[in-house]
Amino acid sequence: MNILEVENLSVNFGGVKAVNNVSLTVEKGKITSIIGPNGAGKTTFFNLVSGVIPPVSGKIIFDGEDITKLSQYEISHKGISRTFQNIRLFNQLSNLQNVQSALDARAHYNIFEAFLGLPGKRKVDKENREKSMYYLEIVGMADVADGRPNSLPYGMQRRLELARALASNPKLLLLDEPAAGLNPAEVEEFIELIEKVRKLFDITILLIDHRLKVVHTLSDKIYVLNFGELLAQGTSEEIRDNPEVIRAYMGEEDKE
Amino acid sequence: MSYYLNVLTTVTINMIAILSMYLLIGLTGIFSMGQASFMCVGAYTAGMLATRTSLPFGVVVIISVLAGLVSALLVGIPVIKLRRDYIALVTLGFGEAVVALLNNMSNITGGANGINNIPRKVNLWIALGFLAVVIFIILNFKNSRFGRYCIAVKNDELSAAAMGINVSRIKLISFVIAGGITALAGCLMAYNTTYIEPMAYGSAKSIDWICYVFVGGVNSLSGTLVSGAIFNILPEVLRVVYIYRILVQGVIVLLTINFLPQGMFGEAEIWTLIKDLFKKKKKNTVVSKER
Repeated sequence: MNILEVENLSVNFGGVKAVNNVSLTVEKGKITSIIGPNGAGKTTFFNLVSGVIPPVSGKIIFDGEDITKLSQYEISHKGISRTFQNIRLFNQLSNLQNVQSALDARAHYNIFEAFLGLPGKRKVDKENREKSMYYLEIVGMADVADGRPNSLPYGMQRRLELARALASNPKLLLLDEPAAGLNPAEVEEFIELIEKVRKLFDITILLIDHRLKVVHTLSDKIYVLNFGELLAQGTSEEIRDNPEVIRAYMGEEDKE
Repeated sequence: MSYYLNVLTTVTINMIAILSMYLLIGLTGIFSMGQASFMCVGAYTAGMLATRTSLPFGVVVIISVLAGLVSALLVGIPVIKLRRDYIALVTLGFGEAVVALLNNMSNITGGANGINNIPRKVNLWIALGFLAVVIFIILNFKNSRFGRYCIAVKNDELSAAAMGINVSRIKLISFVIAGGITALAGCLMAYNTTYIEPMAYGSAKSIDWICYVFVGGVNSLSGTLVSGAIFNILPEVLRVVYIYRILVQGVIVLLTINFLPQGMFGEAEIWTLIKDLFKKKKKNTVVSKER
């Protein structure tokens, strides 16, 4: 069963066709990857799916529902959560509160309860703090719950972003280059973490990455984008042997 | 003695208004350069009701706050979707427009003469009571999910929206609450000074408030309170050299921004600082015992 179906999605910035007629599907419970050279339109594709920018044409069906025209926060409430390529955490909130922000957005108490600090509000907040702590424990950061994100090392910031994305209890998790900037040892840890998270929460993952190691170890299916267009699709082995992909993507890397 | 009480009452009421600015800039990161005009809205609502009807004080306060909330809602709906710098420009225009309107509608508002003979019903204790209520409400707001939304939106709108936060809604909520609080301050001011005129509530006042919040520490409620108190009492202390008052204020703002870019308190609250101080003392005593 497909959780996400994208049909003929296009967007252009001026004359640049950033994403051109891309159709792809993401199967429930699997890890699907999108790879491609720089400027291939991978992040733009994520921005389209998560509602940051509206598409010019095409359709996005999530869990049987058309979400093409929904705004960013509505899509988040439908069950798509994401991380960002250049980490975007809330630096004036503590690490725990960063995770809690996703739970807060799903908390139900109104503004008058908030003004007066009524017991109902306090109970919800307490529960959410405990839940946030649980997510921090999963990514192994419970000991730095009270710190601030900007004083964390890079790898931990990535893990915190993952915890925050998980806290919104998504059906589909979009990871935008989660291993960028990590050293080989951290990459290994991150792969393990993703495997663990997938088993624990039974979620579907759509992943962008430059690190072929990450992509080939994790992915059940790979899509290759080049200049905004879909170049190839298939399993890890199929992509590895595809001559077009080698020319467009890996071939260029070999020259360097 | 009554003169000093009077000064303190005015300072207290001004602090209520400055707290609304803390809510906007400190928490949500909205630059409202016309916030003082909401004080105008509150003051004129109160002034007109107090001189022309026989409504009791409590009812007038409630109506003034409602007037502030409604006018902030009307301004907020179109403004809030704009980018941060444009919000500052539009609110600046709105603030000046309100002042010009009140100045020129002389048959209703008394024009530049303002409204006189408002009964004096606010004393220091009433003002302090209202200040306490406003602090209580803002602190609870800050510690609720709404306060965390505000900070999230200030830090990063894109990822706040990705977490499921309705960014324009939370900005509007904070703008409307701030409008209500400022109108409350205006209403109290009318009942305190017994006289109101529009020129006192121009953009210069709004910009003053922005400065106070920055000097106090953008993310610190107690910092805003302390700097608000300092800057409001300072002109009275410097009464002998009154013309240099603005100069002194400017120098303080420049020095703070240069040497303490986070403001006096940064993100810390005064009570957490005191708590930390005690903790450190305790730790020190433990260490000395071990020795």
